[in-house]
Amino acid sequence: MTDENSQEPSGQEPFDEAEYRRRQRSRANLMAWMLGGLAILFFFITIAKMQIFA
Amino acid sequence: MAQSLTHGETALPADWRDLFALTKPRVMSLVVFTALCGLLAAPGEVHPVLAFSSILAIALGAGASGALNQWYEAGLDSKMKRTAGRPLPAGRLDRQTALQFGVGLAAFSLFLMLFASNWQATLLLLVSILFYVFVYTMWLKPRTPQNIVIGGAAGAFPPLIGWVAATGSIAPLPVLLFLLIFLWTPPHFWALALFVRSDYAAAGIPMMPVVAGEKSTRRQILFYAIIMAAGAIAPWALGLTGALYGWTAVILSALFVLLSIQVGTRATGDGDSMQPEKRLFAYSIAYLFILFGAVVADHWWPL
Repeated sequence: MTDENSQEPSGQEPFDEAEYRRRQRSRANLMAWMLGGLAILFFFITIAKMQIFA
Repeated sequence: MAQSLTHGETALPADWRDLFALTKPRVMSLVVFTALCGLLAAPGEVHPVLAFSSILAIALGAGASGALNQWYEAGLDSKMKRTAGRPLPAGRLDRQTALQFGVGLAAFSLFLMLFASNWQATLLLLVSILFYVFVYTMWLKPRTPQNIVIGGAAGAFPPLIGWVAATGSIAPLPVLLFLLIFLWTPPHFWALALFVRSDYAAAGIPMMPVVAGEKSTRRQILFYAIIMAAGAIAPWALGLTGALYGWTAVILSALFVLLSIQVGTRATGDGDSMQPEKRLFAYSIAYLFILFGAVVADHWWPL
């Protein structure tokens, strides 16, 4: 984390901690949903293959 | 480029919407549709879960190709009005994230295809990704005005992969569908290139209108449209599809050629609104959607 009181080099935007957290949170949520979805998908693929090769 | 991403030592994590935009979602929709049609037109039945997973793998593979394309062309994209707003040239994403995202997505798409389908489809998916990234994006596009002609093969793979995912083997019909997209690509892209010509010229990309001139491009659009029409009707003529597809192909291809004649035989002056070119470009997208839909309809409800 950067020190909020420190001087930013010229031409750079001030660090927006709220935006940083918002992006982190939205990516973490998305990743959780995607991993959950993939676990379910892989489960059903396995079941489908078991049915085919049974 | 990417100057707004770092704030001292801390970089903002990429927004998921920018990562999604890297996958070229609009291009992906055509890829998914043609792949689905290839899969549904194949003989035999595919388990719905495996069919869904195979199409998902193809979509992710196409998304990975798009991301790696944007990673490589970030500098060029910043010079073109049409692409300057993309996440990389606009500075909303850094190149390393784009590269990692593209490579990761490609690897995952191949793994998913192998798990859900067969090695033949996985191999084809790998070839299509490598062809798009290395042959089209890195080699052909910056070097030759034939980039679209040869590079069109990359976009032609999806129906073939869909078919192979369902059957495990290649047959004449999916090869003809591959050929159809391959021949469709030049008139489609050159129609676009005619009305964004100045963009390509500014970026130094040797698109046909920039290198060979407008007149030559118009003639070649017409030439390819005629061969493409023959290629579209070929599956019916060879007895691989029925009359439903056949008549759809005849009518739609005739209209395609008519629009191409309009584009191919006209000359433009300064301030031309390029309406015939825009019309041909828009029609070419609808053409492919309807024609591939007809392949599946013909397979399910033969006349």
